[in-house]
Amino acid sequence: MDLFSNLTLGFTIAFTPFNLLMAFLGVILGTLIGALPGIGPVSGVALLLPITFGMHPTSGIIMLAALYAGSMYGGTITSVLINTPGESASVVTCIDGYQMALQGRAGPALGMAAFGSFIAGTVGVVFLMGMSPLLARWALSFGPAETFALMLLGLTTVTGLTGDNAVKGYISMVLGLMMSMVGFDIISGDQRYTGGITEMLDGFDFLPVAIGLFGMGEVLAGAEDASRAEILSARYGLRDVLPTAADWMRSRWAIVRGTVLGFVIGVLPGAGPTIASFLAYTVEKKVSARPEEFGRGAIEGVAAPESANNAASAGAMVPMLTLGIPGSATTAVMLGGLMMWGIRPGPLLFEKNPDFVWGLIASLYIANVMLLILNIAFIPAFVRALRIPYSILMPLIIVFCITGAYSLNNKVWDVGQMLVFGVVGYAMKKLDYSPAAMTLALVLGPLAERSLRQALIISDAGILILFQRPIAAVLTTLALIAVAVPAARALRAATIARSAKSRRAPA
Amino acid sequence: MRTADRIGAAILLVVAVAYTATAAGRYTYWTATGPGSGFFPFWLGLVLAALSALLLVSAARRPEPGPAWLPTGRGAVRLVVVVAVTAAFIALLPVLGMVLGTGLFLGVLLRMLEGHSWRATLGVAVGAAAANWALFVLWLKVPFPVGVLGF
Repeated sequence: MDLFSNLTLGFTIAFTPFNLLMAFLGVILGTLIGALPGIGPVSGVALLLPITFGMHPTSGIIMLAALYAGSMYGGTITSVLINTPGESASVVTCIDGYQMALQGRAGPALGMAAFGSFIAGTVGVVFLMGMSPLLARWALSFGPAETFALMLLGLTTVTGLTGDNAVKGYISMVLGLMMSMVGFDIISGDQRYTGGITEMLDGFDFLPVAIGLFGMGEVLAGAEDASRAEILSARYGLRDVLPTAADWMRSRWAIVRGTVLGFVIGVLPGAGPTIASFLAYTVEKKVSARPEEFGRGAIEGVAAPESANNAASAGAMVPMLTLGIPGSATTAVMLGGLMMWGIRPGPLLFEKNPDFVWGLIASLYIANVMLLILNIAFIPAFVRALRIPYSILMPLIIVFCITGAYSLNNKVWDVGQMLVFGVVGYAMKKLDYSPAAMTLALVLGPLAERSLRQALIISDAGILILFQRPIAAVLTTLALIAVAVPAARALRAATIARSAKSRRAPA
Repeated sequence: MRTADRIGAAILLVVAVAYTATAAGRYTYWTATGPGSGFFPFWLGLVLAALSALLLVSAARRPEPGPAWLPTGRGAVRLVVVVAVTAAFIALLPVLGMVLGTGLFLGVLLRMLEGHSWRATLGVAVGAAAANWALFVLWLKVPFPVGVLGF
């Protein structure tokens, strides 16, 4: 099958009324979740996972992917109007977006962000479509050694890049792996770490853990704080939102650079939309002829990061679909969902489930068109939603967390687990640990263990098999570098700090 | 945060040692064909032990106590209330049932913690309980826990 017939198949699936409805639901909810501070795309996907279980997996992934794309658009609204990012990938947009709003140019800021997001999102899907089958074909030759090396790379890079404290990132990751060992071991049949509790025989269920760590955890972090920010009022008529020709001239290269950079960063395991948006802003400031305008309402400072985060959210889907390694925290939760639907992401996905993959790709094109229309013509509606007080929203989100955790197995035990992990997630966030790394490890753990054991069984050189085969050797080396670089940096910082201290000490 | 890191690292160290000890004592490290069920957990525990030792050392070496991380005053009270009310709701689920429980839970939080008017509280609580029921029971066919009142 060539690209054209694949895409035709995809659009036939995407244009069924139910899938269109799910894409629409996804973009609306995504924009809202992106816009509301205190709840981001990761918790959005975790919270909506339970709803997808009654559906066909294709419809489920269509809704979740549309939600992910929508949250990237929605985050901008809050950044520009309240100077509070709606989600982490829109943090940098606050800098120039809010300045523009103060100057009465909130409309063009939002409009340019929407157009940039649309261009980047659509081009991102084109790249995704072109790149994924190639990557999948390459990964088809992977044996257990390569698979384990890939898992190792995914785990080390994600961990190195989340949070400020690398040691705590790795601790979170190892804890996630340890949690994934709980329950029946498929190879030997042993029960591990169940503590004799019947409910633990199946191990930690991904869903209550994810809903707890992200949904409940974020709500608890928000519950602490009862204050509310003020929304700048502005005009959002169609005419007020459309950027001027001058805006376009200033932003066009920012959008192009943001798109390419964002997609590349998104594909890399571990570096998702947030890092992409920060890098795009920095690059734009560097290459700009007027760097002094950045921070004072430069429209490029909105266009570049908003393009980058959309391209990155498309890019992050590539390794998730083709290799089974998520490129961001949100795709890590999606990956968990895929596994629960009984879909094995990885190189075979494109051959075994073409309707799933191509339906998803076609839906992403449609979702971006929907999002452009929504974010140009219906901004006032989303601004009104922002006025719903958090004090009403917070209890509602908790109800949704509880019902969602219950709905999987219809067990109150799962709901209790959800609350426990909510408190754990809250504490982890406060103490700089990484719930994202823990979730990723929980998802990848079983496959990582199985591939390592299989690799050691066929190996005649023990663990050195990871260096005997070329692809595995490259991946393992990259993983070691991913660990070594932050370690070396921390060591150097410590040495410098110590020598500074000894110099300051009286002789 | 220095104290929190020290305590955290110490707890993690104990967990790591117990985890590896369990793997070594109760599960098979190596079988005739290759690694057994204890192999991977054994090493995971050791890696965690090394990492938490690293954290312990670096936290002890950090000069200043670091910023506080636990909320204080009103923030702490709100946090405890939300967790306690949620825990009570979950514990009472089999008695109250999901629908009535949801309504009561929302009522308590909206009225007592957030101080909304009775009208707003009732509207949101009844509306949300009904919407939640419609979404999960009517559409997704999830059997909700039924309370002693039969719904």
